[in-house]
Amino acid sequence: MRLEYTRDELLTSHAYEEPLIAGDVLCHGGFIGSGYVSPRTLHRLPAIGAWQDRLRREGLPLLNLPTEYVPPHYPSYEQAKYLLQEGITDPITRSLTIISIVEGFGARIRDLPLPDLHATFVEDVGGTAIAHLGGGLVEAHARDEAGHRREGGHKQMWEAARDLGLSKPELPGDILLRMMMGRRRPERRREFPELPAVTENLVAFLTGVMIIEIVAEDVFEWAKALLGDPEVCRQNRAAAAMVAHIQQDEKAHVEYLRTALSEMRARTFVGADGTTHVPGATVVDRLFEVGLRGIVSTRPREDRERLREEIHAAIEDRAEASRIASRFEELDAGWTFPKGEDEKLDLLLETAAAPR
Amino acid sequence: MTSAAESVAGVVESAVAAAGGVFGVAERAIRAGRIGHTAASVYLRIKTPRWWDRLVGNDPAARDMSGVHQRNAEQILETATALKGLLIKICQVVGTRSDVFPQAYVRTLSRTQDRLPPRPFEQIRAVVEADLGAPIGSIFRDFAQIPVAAASLAQVHRARLPDGRDVAVKVRYPDIDDIVQTDLTTSRWICQIYERLDPQPMALLPLLDELQKYLALELDFEREVENAERIRRMFANEERVVIPAVHRELSSKRVITMEFVEGIKVTDRLALERAGVRPRRVVEGLLAIYNQMILAHGFFQADPHPGNIFIQPGPRFVIVDFGLAKELPKNFGLGIFELMFSMMTYNEAAMIRAFRELGFRTKTGDESTYLEIARRMIGASEDGAFRGEFTEEMTDELFDAIRENPIVEVPIDFVLVSRAFSLLSGIAHTLGHRANILDSMAPGGDGAAAAPR
Repeated sequence: MRLEYTRDELLTSHAYEEPLIAGDVLCHGGFIGSGYVSPRTLHRLPAIGAWQDRLRREGLPLLNLPTEYVPPHYPSYEQAKYLLQEGITDPITRSLTIISIVEGFGARIRDLPLPDLHATFVEDVGGTAIAHLGGGLVEAHARDEAGHRREGGHKQMWEAARDLGLSKPELPGDILLRMMMGRRRPERRREFPELPAVTENLVAFLTGVMIIEIVAEDVFEWAKALLGDPEVCRQNRAAAAMVAHIQQDEKAHVEYLRTALSEMRARTFVGADGTTHVPGATVVDRLFEVGLRGIVSTRPREDRERLREEIHAAIEDRAEASRIASRFEELDAGWTFPKGEDEKLDLLLETAAAPR
Repeated sequence: MTSAAESVAGVVESAVAAAGGVFGVAERAIRAGRIGHTAASVYLRIKTPRWWDRLVGNDPAARDMSGVHQRNAEQILETATALKGLLIKICQVVGTRSDVFPQAYVRTLSRTQDRLPPRPFEQIRAVVEADLGAPIGSIFRDFAQIPVAAASLAQVHRARLPDGRDVAVKVRYPDIDDIVQTDLTTSRWICQIYERLDPQPMALLPLLDELQKYLALELDFEREVENAERIRRMFANEERVVIPAVHRELSSKRVITMEFVEGIKVTDRLALERAGVRPRRVVEGLLAIYNQMILAHGFFQADPHPGNIFIQPGPRFVIVDFGLAKELPKNFGLGIFELMFSMMTYNEAAMIRAFRELGFRTKTGDESTYLEIARRMIGASEDGAFRGEFTEEMTDELFDAIRENPIVEVPIDFVLVSRAFSLLSGIAHTLGHRANILDSMAPGGDGAAAAPR
């Protein structure tokens, strides 16, 4: 099975019969037959499959996130639908716009400093996803998220989904303000000072992105349900289809990240002094847990509180505000992170899939 | 070389100063004469070589005019420094308009943003006593006669209230209304003559209109107080931002009395480090604060030059001088963000959309002009890729490209915002860091915004 790919190959798309056009914006990906095919996947998906198959053959597990850790989207589909039915669109418009902006920031992954990955591990990294991070995987990810040259990416696709579903709503003037509020977080503490900073940053960054990508699955389901609902959205089919295309594209990201991190778990990191060795599982598992605690526990709790306040402020402007607010709260199923502050978090270790 | 008009102007100016700022017909005539003389010299210095080139069959466009522009800029600076008042303000405006004027003017005339010679204390005392309605000694326990800063329209003195609190008192020059009026009239007259003489004149009158509008705002201290208080409210919950409180009862249309706040000049790296303040934290914080004002709130102090920002341990950021504060149109910040973002991702269709939505217009309707501008700007970055920082070099290139391409409409808001970002980039570079606007607002906080250079 082929394990080595060039950068150009990992960035090559299929020959589409029809491009994807969102509103008047040309986007990436396209259609072959009646199906949507994600961009830059002609070789990328087979490559990821091959690297995962290698893990399976070597009896190494694939890293994953237990589903019970994934926080549900707030406001829930029922709550969001209710707001739209009451004519309160700003919180949903704001939320979808912020998602599009955050997706776009995914392009910054290309600025991630990469160490010499062959010198980072004791073992060889030839024929792995690790060795291809700087050789096309990260660049493909960046282009998928923010678009590239003539083609829009997920940023523009989320904007299109919003405009299709909510009939091109007027954008609230405080989107960037809300996005930037409460965003300042303390600097991440070094967990492995014996490793070069660039190595630890790489692992922490990739685990963080992987967790966010997995958590986003719930956002896709929420958006497909809401924007695909004919009772509240005009061009519901097209809007939901656009979200589904993004969701399909993101699968490649989750899989290459899981693969590279799983390969790292199975190797040994070389310390900054060149002689110290740290087992990969120790590093990846610890940084995964630190990232997980912030992204699926602390942050959703803070975001939920902030969004709840924001939505109630929007409701206050309406007649019958107290009735709407009560009903909105009744529809809240609530959510508590299943682990206590001091409890150790579990990682899910799966067997890699059989070759596709 | 000193002309007769200049000598007379110098004498009259001294007499005016001695008389405590009385501004009469003769002085108006002298000012107008000297301004006219400077304008004519500048015009002839530009035009004579071009006329000669045409006469002998050379291509005037091929001539290197940088030396001429530099000499002109030096003469304008000299005249402005001698006559002060509005001319200083005009120079300051030219010093910010890289989109209109060649670099020689922009660089030379921006020197007027440095410290200017102060007015005699007696003139200042007269304004304070007239406006606050009591002898200066009964209002303030102490009032320093030497100002801590002097600018084109006003100067600032340190003083102490009867209860012992230290304050800064900003006082408008007594004759500034007359000076502004005279200089505006003269400048308008010169511009009109120039537009008649030159077959392809630069659009100076709209700039003058713009200047007149902003001067009216800057001369209105009550408005400046409102700006300061608005930004103070904006950051009420942020301990790290210090906007000096205004003593409204001791303020008027010509006097602002505010809390005196100490701090280290933002570009004084050595002093910052001695005080235990990490320059990286200063850059990150400053970017976050300006991003909040510009991109999020749409209202900002539009003059973040190093003289207006001071740092206290923490770091805490002291921002002063709200004469030039700007309200941006709804979602203008989003437009700026989209432009930067499209440049970062090389998304050409999005760049065109962003330029259009920000209010740019081309003469020919050909939108590929926008791409040319963006490409040149991106090309002026350190590594040929836009990563979110508006360096001075990139802003210069952007405005050079705008000047050389058929752009007929550049939104003033864009000019002010890009100038502010460029000033912040200058501060960051002085402190040994980069000012990455996009990183500063990216998910994950402002931690990555100030990468070392």
